[in-house]
Amino acid sequence: MLKSTSEASAEVRDSATRVKRAGQERSVILQALFTWMPVLVLVALVVIVSIKNPDFLSKRSLQALTVEAAPLLFLALGQTLVIMIGGIDLSVAALASFASVLLALWLPSLGLAAVLFVLMITTAAGGIQGYIHAKAQVPSFVVTLSGLGIFASAALMASGASTLPVTENLKWLNWMTGMLGPIPRDPLVAVVIVAVIAAGMRWLPIGRYILAIGNSEVAGLLSGIRATKVRIFVFGLSGLSAGLAATLLVAEIQSGAPSLLNALLLPTIAAVVVGGTAITGGSGGLARTMLGVLIISVLRVGIAVMGINPSYEQVVYGAVIIAAVSLTIDRSKIAIVK
Amino acid sequence: MNASAQIEAEGSAASATPVVRVEGITKHFPGVRALDNVTLELHQHEVLGLVGENGSGKSTLLKILAGVTVPDRGRIVVRGKPATYRSVAAALRAGIGMVFQEQALIPNVTVAENILLGAEDNTVRSGVYRWRELNRRAQTQLAKVNAQFEPSALTESLTFAERQLVELAKVLRIEERIGGDPVILLDEPTTVLEREEIETLFTQIDRLRASASIIFVSHRLDEVLRVSDRIYVMRDGRCVAELDPKTSDIHALHLTMVGRGLSDSYYREADQHPPTAAEPRLSVRGLTLPRHYEDVAFDVLPGEVVGIAGVQGSGREDVCRTLFGALAPKAGKILLDGRAVRFTSPAGAVKAGVGYVPAERRLEGIIGPMSVSENMTLAHIWRVMRGLLIDRAGEDRLAREWIDQLSIKVPSHRARAGNLSGGNQQKLSLAKWLISDRLKVLVLDHPTRGLDVGAKAEVYALVRELADRGLAMVLLADTLEETIALSHRIVVMKDGRIVDRIEAPQGAKPSQVTVVEKMV
Repeated sequence: MLKSTSEASAEVRDSATRVKRAGQERSVILQALFTWMPVLVLVALVVIVSIKNPDFLSKRSLQALTVEAAPLLFLALGQTLVIMIGGIDLSVAALASFASVLLALWLPSLGLAAVLFVLMITTAAGGIQGYIHAKAQVPSFVVTLSGLGIFASAALMASGASTLPVTENLKWLNWMTGMLGPIPRDPLVAVVIVAVIAAGMRWLPIGRYILAIGNSEVAGLLSGIRATKVRIFVFGLSGLSAGLAATLLVAEIQSGAPSLLNALLLPTIAAVVVGGTAITGGSGGLARTMLGVLIISVLRVGIAVMGINPSYEQVVYGAVIIAAVSLTIDRSKIAIVK
Repeated sequence: MNASAQIEAEGSAASATPVVRVEGITKHFPGVRALDNVTLELHQHEVLGLVGENGSGKSTLLKILAGVTVPDRGRIVVRGKPATYRSVAAALRAGIGMVFQEQALIPNVTVAENILLGAEDNTVRSGVYRWRELNRRAQTQLAKVNAQFEPSALTESLTFAERQLVELAKVLRIEERIGGDPVILLDEPTTVLEREEIETLFTQIDRLRASASIIFVSHRLDEVLRVSDRIYVMRDGRCVAELDPKTSDIHALHLTMVGRGLSDSYYREADQHPPTAAEPRLSVRGLTLPRHYEDVAFDVLPGEVVGIAGVQGSGREDVCRTLFGALAPKAGKILLDGRAVRFTSPAGAVKAGVGYVPAERRLEGIIGPMSVSENMTLAHIWRVMRGLLIDRAGEDRLAREWIDQLSIKVPSHRARAGNLSGGNQQKLSLAKWLISDRLKVLVLDHPTRGLDVGAKAEVYALVRELADRGLAMVLLADTLEETIALSHRIVVMKDGRIVDRIEAPQGAKPSQVTVVEKMV
């Protein structure tokens, strides 16, 4: 069985050319275009918007853009991992709104502990959804759609259906806002945390397992991976990222409200899929989602700059999702589309 | 075709145009050549038996005829006219219908609705069923198969055998549609039937012989011999022989199916050495899972390959799935090095040192979009951990080491595993387990399925080498020939029970006939 090195290396060369040929058949150019598509889209959008309004590229405008993008990035962080294992989390925005209410209620009396409590609660809420999804074999969109309803109601009940301004103990949150030199702190915090998670995906076994389960659950199971645990982890992380998004937004606007982040659900999913993460799971990643978040944020500014009625905003996100999903979907994984 | 023309056609059977002629059909699946230039003819009013081992290509051929799969090359000529169809509906229009192995009926509607599904025509007026007309037309079809139940019966209230009749009736409706005799493809129709039900089915087939042409596929060779007028034998994607059931018997048929006689050098029989120790590495005692297997017991010594032989439905697959924790037994125990273990999931089995090389390697053995390195360490990531983190450089080193040891042909350890050829994917799927020094038992589920001859030979050599290193292996082979050649011992299973244990030491291998006799 053990071959001499020269023999083996000749074989390796042989097969290298064969594999290369196979790759050419699948069109290298098309593949590259797919990979770089989000970048091209972002550049095109920036060019179009800045032609319409040259002020767009000003320092102040860019700072505002990134501050606004920060909560979206948090929400999209959790969503990316969920979508990578082939699920979807429709509850993130509602959960984040609920978290903003809890934070506004508790911060004055509990201080830092309020922040920690809220993050623990959202993580648990996500994890419980993941547990139900994995154990009871209920599709994730069903579990999280129900979750959306539950969290929205909980937020209304807890807040008395009104906006809750935060005036005390803001010192625990203020470090996240304001400027660090020329760079706003909100997006900086978000990017650092995303980078930490991205590193985890690369260097922690769980990152591997997420990829494996997303690509082929059976192959993963037969390799001894506990898929249920992976799912609970991923949904828990999604809950945590909802809590982080809420914390950041409360710090920024100094209030919590029962529907504070609700409008971000569609943009969150749009950001993930427009970045190139396939809705069928397995491929994609956090770097792609960062791009996607930028695209969606520029698009948002673009809608305003072009003088389009803001009522159309959600139409644009909807269209973006359909277009991006139909481009990136892995049709070999689906027998019948329901 | 009218009656007189039909008689004429039968009168000159030899010279008549075949109902279906398959010409040079070739079909590739990624990494596998499922059909290789297959040519065959189906004559008017005959029952053509099609046999072959798993992976010989008979299912693919049937699917191509039924319009489920599109061939890469070759053509199908139906009643003298070239037919190119790409859907089941188009195949039906050409007069070819298939009774699927997994029944394709809708359980919660009536028999009549199922039979006329997709061909409602005038039984629907303004989008509403005309029940009387629907039932009348369904009854016409049911009469053809001599069914003893009403068309208005709820499909799920029928027995499995009755539902099969519904399927048959559903296919027979194409008779009216094409105004001629249909071609019916029966894919393993008897697998799930009881004795008497099989008899009923055969009576049906005999009746249908007068008005249809039938291709009959079954694993049970006695059945094929009984109902067929002619038998084609398939092997490795080719039609290798045409037999006359009158002058053939089960053993001859089986030997034609498995092909060439035992070749010592091909299987490296000279490299088969006795087990390396006398204490069993794996022991199975009284393992029972009702309706799957009953009271299964055997030992595997270090350095020993134990092959489990048995036909489909013998329960051997389920035993292997149990060894790997994918099925939970109701009773009995599994011992590793004398210590009882209990797995509730494959994760537990992996931890205990049991590896599993699945038959569906492309879907289950490897993860295509992930790299060769990542695939190799997936089951034993601890091998390359440094503290809490994966040592990626160390991982790549380990991967390169094993790529070299098993001569896996890859452009780089970072290549996508999905781009490798079938044989190299299989080696990767093996390497995934070999990197662990805690591996005790390896379950090989059809390790050479779909591989070409060269790649098979490499897998055989590897199995010999692993045995020499003291690994205990349980083997489910694709062919009986392979089972006998690779195993030290053969456990024969039939209907969920072990019926015999046959020693197969080097130089004293049992003949295939000896084993087949116990299997069937």
